[in-house]
Amino acid sequence: MSTNISHTPAERLRDAGLYAPGDAVLSVRDLNVRFNSENGVVHAVRGVDFDLMPGKTLGIVGESGSGKSVTSMAIMGLLPETADISGSVRYKGKELLGLSDKAMCKHRGSDIAMVFQDPLSSLTPVYTVGNQIIEALTVHNPTMSKQAKEARAVELLRMVGIPSPKDRLKAFPHEFSGGMRQRVMIAIAIANDPRVLIADEPTTALDVTIQAQVLEVLHTAQEETGAAVVMITHDLGVVAGMADDIMVMYAGKPVETGTVEDIYYNPRMPYSMGLLGAVPRVDTANKQSLVPIEGTPPNLALPVTGCSFAPRCPLASDACLHGEPEPVSVPGSEGHRAACIKTDELSGEANAHAIFQAPAKPVSKFDGVARLEREKVLELKDVKKHFPLLKGALIKRRIGTVKAVDGLSFDIREGECLSIVGESGCGKTTTLLEIMEFHPDQVGEVVIGGVSNKVATDSKTKMAMRKEMQMVFQDPTGALDPRFTVYEVLAEPLENLGMPRAAVRKRIMELMRLVGLQADHVNRFPNQFSGGQRQRIGIARALAVNPKLVVLDEPVSALDVSVQAGVINLLDQLRAELGLSYLMVAHDLSVVRHISDRVAVMYLGKIVETGDVDEVFDNPRHPYTRALLSAIPVPDPNLERTRERIILQGDLPSPLDAPKGCNFATRCPVFAALPAAKQEKCLTLEPPLASEGQQEFACFFPDGEIDADMLVVHA
Amino acid sequence: MTNIIDPIAEIDESRAADQDVVIGKSRIIFRRFMRNRTAVAGLFIFLALFLFSLFGGFLTPWDKDTIDPLNIGMGPSPDHFLGTSQAGIDLMALIVEGTRISIFIGLIVGGVSVLISAVYGCTMAFFGGKVDAVMLFILEALIMMPAILVVAVATSGGGGLKNLPSWLLLIIVLLFFSWMGTARLVRSLSMSLMQRDYVKAAKYMGVPSRKIVWRHLVPNIGSLLVLDFTRGITGAVLAEVAFSFIGIGIKLPDVSLGVLIGQATGQVSSFPWMFWVPLTVMFLLTGSLAMMNDGLRDAFDPSSSSIGRAKTKTAKKTIK
Amino acid sequence: MLKYLTKRSGIYLIMIFLTTSAGYFLAVSTLKPAVLEQEKIPRPTPEQVAASFRGLGLDPDATPWERYIGWLGGIITRWDWGRSPNGAFVNAEFADRVLVSTRLFIASIILTLIIGVALGVYSAARQYKYQDRVITSYSYLVHILPAPIAYFLVQLGAISVNETVGQRIFFVTGISTPGIEPGWPAFVDLVAHYAVPTFAMTIFGWAGYQIAQRQYLLDNVNADFVRTARAKGLTRNQAIRRHALRVSFIPVAQSIAFTIPAIFTGGFFAEAIFAWPGIGLWSIQSIGLQDVNVATATLAYGSVIFAIGAILADFATTLVDPRVRVQ
Repeated sequence: MSTNISHTPAERLRDAGLYAPGDAVLSVRDLNVRFNSENGVVHAVRGVDFDLMPGKTLGIVGESGSGKSVTSMAIMGLLPETADISGSVRYKGKELLGLSDKAMCKHRGSDIAMVFQDPLSSLTPVYTVGNQIIEALTVHNPTMSKQAKEARAVELLRMVGIPSPKDRLKAFPHEFSGGMRQRVMIAIAIANDPRVLIADEPTTALDVTIQAQVLEVLHTAQEETGAAVVMITHDLGVVAGMADDIMVMYAGKPVETGTVEDIYYNPRMPYSMGLLGAVPRVDTANKQSLVPIEGTPPNLALPVTGCSFAPRCPLASDACLHGEPEPVSVPGSEGHRAACIKTDELSGEANAHAIFQAPAKPVSKFDGVARLEREKVLELKDVKKHFPLLKGALIKRRIGTVKAVDGLSFDIREGECLSIVGESGCGKTTTLLEIMEFHPDQVGEVVIGGVSNKVATDSKTKMAMRKEMQMVFQDPTGALDPRFTVYEVLAEPLENLGMPRAAVRKRIMELMRLVGLQADHVNRFPNQFSGGQRQRIGIARALAVNPKLVVLDEPVSALDVSVQAGVINLLDQLRAELGLSYLMVAHDLSVVRHISDRVAVMYLGKIVETGDVDEVFDNPRHPYTRALLSAIPVPDPNLERTRERIILQGDLPSPLDAPKGCNFATRCPVFAALPAAKQEKCLTLEPPLASEGQQEFACFFPDGEIDADMLVVHA
Repeated sequence: MTNIIDPIAEIDESRAADQDVVIGKSRIIFRRFMRNRTAVAGLFIFLALFLFSLFGGFLTPWDKDTIDPLNIGMGPSPDHFLGTSQAGIDLMALIVEGTRISIFIGLIVGGVSVLISAVYGCTMAFFGGKVDAVMLFILEALIMMPAILVVAVATSGGGGLKNLPSWLLLIIVLLFFSWMGTARLVRSLSMSLMQRDYVKAAKYMGVPSRKIVWRHLVPNIGSLLVLDFTRGITGAVLAEVAFSFIGIGIKLPDVSLGVLIGQATGQVSSFPWMFWVPLTVMFLLTGSLAMMNDGLRDAFDPSSSSIGRAKTKTAKKTIK
Repeated sequence: MLKYLTKRSGIYLIMIFLTTSAGYFLAVSTLKPAVLEQEKIPRPTPEQVAASFRGLGLDPDATPWERYIGWLGGIITRWDWGRSPNGAFVNAEFADRVLVSTRLFIASIILTLIIGVALGVYSAARQYKYQDRVITSYSYLVHILPAPIAYFLVQLGAISVNETVGQRIFFVTGISTPGIEPGWPAFVDLVAHYAVPTFAMTIFGWAGYQIAQRQYLLDNVNADFVRTARAKGLTRNQAIRRHALRVSFIPVAQSIAFTIPAIFTGGFFAEAIFAWPGIGLWSIQSIGLQDVNVATATLAYGSVIFAIGAILADFATTLVDPRVRVQ
């Protein structure tokens, strides 16, 4: 590998005394990665520099396509052979780039270890968990005895919080939940006490409660091993509490680097400012519009001539288009660097909302009307959905019942948004499906726009209900038939109503404008749009028939942060303009807080707490709501470092094992702290949903003391 | 969200918006097919054989029923381009006829079995439950039956089936045993398609089921069906040749490539042209079909295009 | 596990019953042995023919249903699969025929499996290099060559070897030379008879395994768990060998179910071409002789072979894939 790259920008910076590479455990200089694709050479990573100090944590933040994962894979030497990598990656001063696969293997897993994103596919399905941990030990310690390795594996499993580790050694990955598998991945990564631990979106695929657990395990792992951590994420909240330094990447290049305080409290690059403004906050009732970043990241197969963010930057001037700005020091804060020629203008009072011209909070005609005076657009009365759990192939035996939805009642009034939140498996999606099915044979009553499912026997009634309610799906790609043009997608519901051709055409143009898409793009296919635009098409389709109620199933969870803000703003605006009501299911509580008026927290098929969103979020009464809210990381480093958090133990239990009394008792942090006499009540009686003011919750001991074991504070 | 595993996909995603040219999917597929030289060659060979089987009769004054008493069992000569059989029948005339029958069997069996499997598979997926279970049982029972025996019984029997020409009998029996695999594929594909959000969306809009099947399911299993059509042709041609070769498929007086090859096995040394010429034609036929299959599969599969190396010579220098 | 296998066997038994019954009806309504009797000299009267067939349980005047009941009754009460038009008992010859077939196939089944999987792994490791191209092209070539023609070409090849050497090294037909001395000469004779059919069935048999194994392995070389293994410190090749390879065996194990009956079908051709008096040849001959009971019995045998293959595949899958192990 080239040892003579003394003229790279990074080297110059080092000469200026801005880096101290001598102490760094990992230093990366001018890392460039290129891939060949059908459309030419893609320059995926364009000059990444950083130094990682022992025991410190670096957060790399960026959206999909920003090159953050490619960077980590390049460091690990795991990119395909076809990739062209240049620059320098040094581990304790030793150059790693250009090492053969075999030579690199001495470092991988012992000096530098990695935790990947998807725990479900990252473990080999045919080997036991113990086998896979022991393999990591064997590779680097060929002389270690079998007993010693086994003991070490048990120790590792215990360290990452796997109960009865000795027995679980013999378990196969499929016998573990996603969160447990991610723990195993961490155990494998720290098996040889690595000096550097790279975690690539380690919690993205997990539920918030499990995310909190896994982040805690990572924290423990770092404390135990003293390793330096590179945490790669798209979620500004996740790294706020963990990282010492942050590197924001955009279009393959770091655009801003600095300490965590620099980045969160004093961002100097419009993109970082936009990113921070684009994330809603779970901890404040501020209902300001989010900062939308229009447009999409550049095509990295084309040469970059100016600032890669310029096309999306509201501050861009001609100067921005000529020559790509290098990261330069921000005056007054050492080590804080931003790649923007207008860094100086962005100091202090600069406000992302003003810069990105975030729209004003839209006002709905219903805003002034008291809730009870508005009409009900949807009402559920004691809706149940039980699935029989069958066993046996020829003659099926019923071995139990899964109570996916167990006696749900709520209503939605005109112009309001109700969100259902809870972990995956709590029954929120089943609830949506039950409402969408709208069938007389359902258990319980669903009333939509005054029409009950009990009388919906003929297709005419059903058709009338379909006009009242439409749905927006989670995955914008899967929701659009790849063979349909946008025009055909939008025409389907209209033609189904028997609308004449000319009217269909007119309506489609109207819809395109409504959701902020160019009307002349109607002849394109979905794959020619970005994710955010596809979701807008999905929204346009739902609005085509002028429904009163729109059901939103995780409408923004598949989108990048900057794009997400635009879609949320659009939903806000449409609700106000068209007087829509929303029923939303979302796992991201920040989004829920931002968009909803009311919230219902579900656990194992039941609502455990419901009420006005601000009341519930500011003053949660049910222990589950408290734990759920506590699990959400906030993009505010000071707050994140000091706050207490409730870490629930274990996963959502199988609905089969639902206990007799309160079904949350098995994981309840309040229950755990109760004296035995009071515990008895939780175990035998089912707490009813009782109201206190506007808020309703199902708990005998609201606001109870939390068990100390489940409470964590990072000093 | 940032679920990145594949760096290339990651980049493709961000590029999606930049494509300004609107190209229909079928045109893309056609282009990709035409870019595959092997596939195009296969297509041309197949078309040539097809035309030959239709109009090849004009290339020779003889027909397959006329005996040339002056040229019995003669090798290729100006009178008979490909020689004659030991009965004095022009081989060219026989080949034209045999190719036609073989292609005909292939096209009919390939086409109809795709239809059957599409209808059967979609029905299973659409109704699900008991209907699906019963239909699946029937399907598996059919897979279990040794097709060759049924072919043999049907074409050798002395009973009522005797009145049908042997090629028709063979088509019927091959049809009976050719659709199960595809039907199963269609079933699982339709089942996964029914879970797609766009099908749900249509359902929630109140679009009638039959319209959903027609507008969303059928076009999306189309590529599978096209592929299976060409695969079915190859399979049927091969089956015809194999069965006729050991004497249980097409029977004289009907001729097919299999019959011609099979008949000639006894006299390979004395009348070699009678064996090698039809064998070559069969190879051209099945080979051209296989070449087309390959091209079609690549054209339909967006991930199959191989991506070259990014390492340029200069890049290598900096690394070393 | 045992319970699961028993249940699967039960389902297959029902299927075998149904396919065999269907086969019987097809055979009984199309095969008319009386037609052949007319060619005998002296030509028997129709009454004589009917009478002799009635004695064998092949009454041509009975309805298919009556004959089915009689045939089924014989199997259920006495395990008697009926008689041929010439009076022979099906049961008597069946075992010999199965033995001949099994002897013919067993070696090539094993060889095919081993060579196919090995070549699949090898060609996947050498993807797009010339070794891969040669091996995989060969497999595709085999796909467009009908089995009997392929066997016939091998036969021609063996004959020309014999002619070139000027001595009979290989026997291209038959199972053994009558009247051969036991001991060493018998063994040489055995090998000389086995070599050509086994060779033919093997070299034209592994293509399917090779292509499948290559594809499944390639599907897995970039899997997330291989990346994990590399991140532990295994080289790419070690990670593929220890992790991807093992996982890629799962679908291959499943596909065995569908190749065992395929080998059986291929066996018809092999027995026909190489004149081995196995079950396949027997069935083809029996159909030529309009023999309902033999045809049905061989059909039943084919179904049984399929069922055994399917159960074996289930069993193999549970061996290699812990996810489907029944707790």
